[in-house]
Amino acid sequence: MKLQSIIKKYLLLLFLVFSVVFLSGCWDRNEVNDLALIMAAGFDKKSDNTIELSVLLYIPKGGGNQQDMNSAGGGGYETMVRSAAGITVADAMARLQEKLPRQIFWGHTDIFLFNEKLAKEGIFEHVDFIMRHPQLRERAQIFVSKQPAKEVLSLMPPLERDLSEVLRELGEHEIGMSITTKELAQMLISDSGDCALPWIQILPPDDKNKPKRTIAYITGTAVFKKDKMIGKIDDMLTRGILWIRDEIRLAVVTVKLPQTKGYISVNLSQAHSKLVPTIENGKWKITLKSETYSDIVQNSTHLNVSDPAVVKSLERQIEQVINNRIELARKKVQKEMKADILGFADAFHRYYPKVWNKEKKRWEEIFPDVEVKYETKCKIRRQGLHS
Amino acid sequence: MIKKDSLSIDLAENIKVLESIYADCSDVIFRHFSIGNRIKAILIYIEGMSDMEEMDKNVLTPLMLREIGRQFDIQTILEKNLAVSAVKEVSTFKDVTNEVSSGNPVVLINHQSQGVSVGFAKSEKRSIQEPTSESVVRGPRDGFIETLSTNIVLLRQKIKSTDLKTKSIQIGRYSQTKVVIMYIEGLADHALIQEVENRLNRIDIDGVLESGYIEEFIKDHPYSPFPQILNTERPDVTAASLLEGNVVILTDGTPFVLIAPTTFYSLLQSAEDYYGGFIIGTFLRWLRYAFLLVALLLPSVYVAILTYHQEMVPTSLLISVAKSREQIPFPALVEALLMEGSFEALREAGIRLPKNIGSAISIVGALVIGQAAVSAGLVSAPMVMVVAITGIASFMIPRYSAAITLRILRFPIMFLAGTLGLVGIMLGILTIIVHMCTIRSFGVPYLQPLAPIRNTELKDSIIRAPWWSLKNRPHWTSDYNKVRQPNGQKPSPSKGKE
Repeated sequence: MKLQSIIKKYLLLLFLVFSVVFLSGCWDRNEVNDLALIMAAGFDKKSDNTIELSVLLYIPKGGGNQQDMNSAGGGGYETMVRSAAGITVADAMARLQEKLPRQIFWGHTDIFLFNEKLAKEGIFEHVDFIMRHPQLRERAQIFVSKQPAKEVLSLMPPLERDLSEVLRELGEHEIGMSITTKELAQMLISDSGDCALPWIQILPPDDKNKPKRTIAYITGTAVFKKDKMIGKIDDMLTRGILWIRDEIRLAVVTVKLPQTKGYISVNLSQAHSKLVPTIENGKWKITLKSETYSDIVQNSTHLNVSDPAVVKSLERQIEQVINNRIELARKKVQKEMKADILGFADAFHRYYPKVWNKEKKRWEEIFPDVEVKYETKCKIRRQGLHS
Repeated sequence: MIKKDSLSIDLAENIKVLESIYADCSDVIFRHFSIGNRIKAILIYIEGMSDMEEMDKNVLTPLMLREIGRQFDIQTILEKNLAVSAVKEVSTFKDVTNEVSSGNPVVLINHQSQGVSVGFAKSEKRSIQEPTSESVVRGPRDGFIETLSTNIVLLRQKIKSTDLKTKSIQIGRYSQTKVVIMYIEGLADHALIQEVENRLNRIDIDGVLESGYIEEFIKDHPYSPFPQILNTERPDVTAASLLEGNVVILTDGTPFVLIAPTTFYSLLQSAEDYYGGFIIGTFLRWLRYAFLLVALLLPSVYVAILTYHQEMVPTSLLISVAKSREQIPFPALVEALLMEGSFEALREAGIRLPKNIGSAISIVGALVIGQAAVSAGLVSAPMVMVVAITGIASFMIPRYSAAITLRILRFPIMFLAGTLGLVGIMLGILTIIVHMCTIRSFGVPYLQPLAPIRNTELKDSIIRAPWWSLKNRPHWTSDYNKVRQPNGQKPSPSKGKE
């Protein structure tokens, strides 16, 4: 009798445990074959108060058969672009889902594109969707495109598997600006609230008969005042901005030394910069301290680069070139566009929190008049000997 | 029916009793003869169990040809007539039947209340071969066989000290299997020896055919799937355990000896860890620990990620997986169960199959769970990979008993993964770890020395420290005589003369 009741108890317990497992009913189970994998998404302006969401979808083709096993993964890869309009991104997404037999899956979206027109009207509400949706990755990169996003997404890159891969790889080079969702959100809520995003446009195709067989590439930077785009700067100026933002990673600087023929090119192997703000007698100043280490990669002069004196003068020359690059970019952004994408506001806030709290409302007026000094140090580490 | 009564003086009476005991035993031979033509005697043996040639030469011949002197008793016969070293006096019927059953012929003589058993037992013996369940590249190649005495000899040859003790017990009402407890006096804990003896003495069973019978009777946790007593057929592994203060249980009739107590880590150790250098040993151990997790979790993680956490895999990988899964009719869980199930079936069939058609199963197996299944669109190619890697991983675990436990545990975790995703896997792992923490083997915590942690003993579980630094025995087997070897044996080049 007693044993039986114990057994009954255990059976009940076992039943309850199994119920926990099976009652959940796999409620959020999603097989891969039921997902629409979105590789990239673009936002265009449709009409006055609607936007168009376009997504780049991966089409899983083939698989399971003999040929496919032999071709080992690679092989055929197809994508398609589908779009839907809505008042907000979320609304557009709901419309888009109506047109897709599979469930939209944002987990692998690496790229977001904003069309120029939409960017000019403000991107904050759209970024809110990107940040808030649980599936979306904060590491996705964001670009502003000259052509409509839908058009850019439908390109068929000859080298990479699709456009999202092209843009992701290009962003990773960090030659131009490279901004992830998280960084964008940080800029939008920073002290100045101004932001910058990489600017892309379509590379003219090699073959005029196949207009789609090309890519879009980064040609500059779109500058935003708050969340509204106010203009763009070219590739060269972008590099100057990257110096100030301490985002420079790869750079080749070519200089010409006085009284010589030919040029010397150096490759930056390390570069760091730091903004040091000072407020003296009500004058707001900033010193950009930067340090670079570089290797000589080409020397078309007759100078002996092992000579310390030559190296010294070369270093000074490089510093000059770098300063000029930065100065050009700074003038354009600070004086003409008056957008603080350089991070000055945060620097002042960090060094002078009390003054900042008093004066932050006036920042718009102060910013264009901030004086900037440069302290650039360049060291040449390797002369690159001929073998 | 066996009478405990002592033998009577009258031979005829003895014969009558014995014939009734051995009624309907056609293989028991009663050979009547007389000593020196006068005194009746009888030789009892079981056909085929004794070496009769020796018997005739050394027992029957001298006895039959003997002149009967004034003094005639068992003692003088033993002293003067039997040129045999292994003789034993028997005085009860039980003794007689015991000796006869173990193959020793018994001689009973009229007017004597004692008989003589002669140790001419001859048993069918397999030659010593390399153990098939635990092979090594470097290390001794001998393995235990089915004969208990040979197994004891193999151990004696490795440990020659007189401190190596053997205690013999008989288990099994009908099989009367001889079971021997072996330990090293001064290394093994007396309480442990006592406990092993007590547990063995409690066993009341009709027959013991393999040490697995005993293992189930003396386990601490009968319902746990984890092996709590190590079994091995390698004398070197057994000797090493004896030197660590463990108690070894040898069973007649099986090459597998039991070693108690056992911790989880010893199940993951191979004899070769100790032979091949400590750096290699450590590397192999880590590899084994890593693949232990693979063997347990890989299919579950694959299922969980593909059905719940698609964002966790790199995009390119997901794309190729998605492509191969496009035409698969089953959900990932069903696919995994199908493949794992058929893999286990194949493995099991491969073991049971007669050796000469073994190649057939491998061809069929490769086709069924490989190419054919994929091209038929039943399973995806990545799933085949996962099953294959899991299979390899489970073969990496050196102890078969531990490997089979992991194989079994894989299935409930797969269910959890298919219903609750990674959360389910975590639940499964937690349950297993909690369970392992509660298990004890002869009083020793199963996860020792990691839980409860003993820093100094981690050097022979997490890593395999060099021999000269393994100075102490594990504390759980012996608290006294802990020191294995003195300090300062680390080899160092001689500094030369000053």
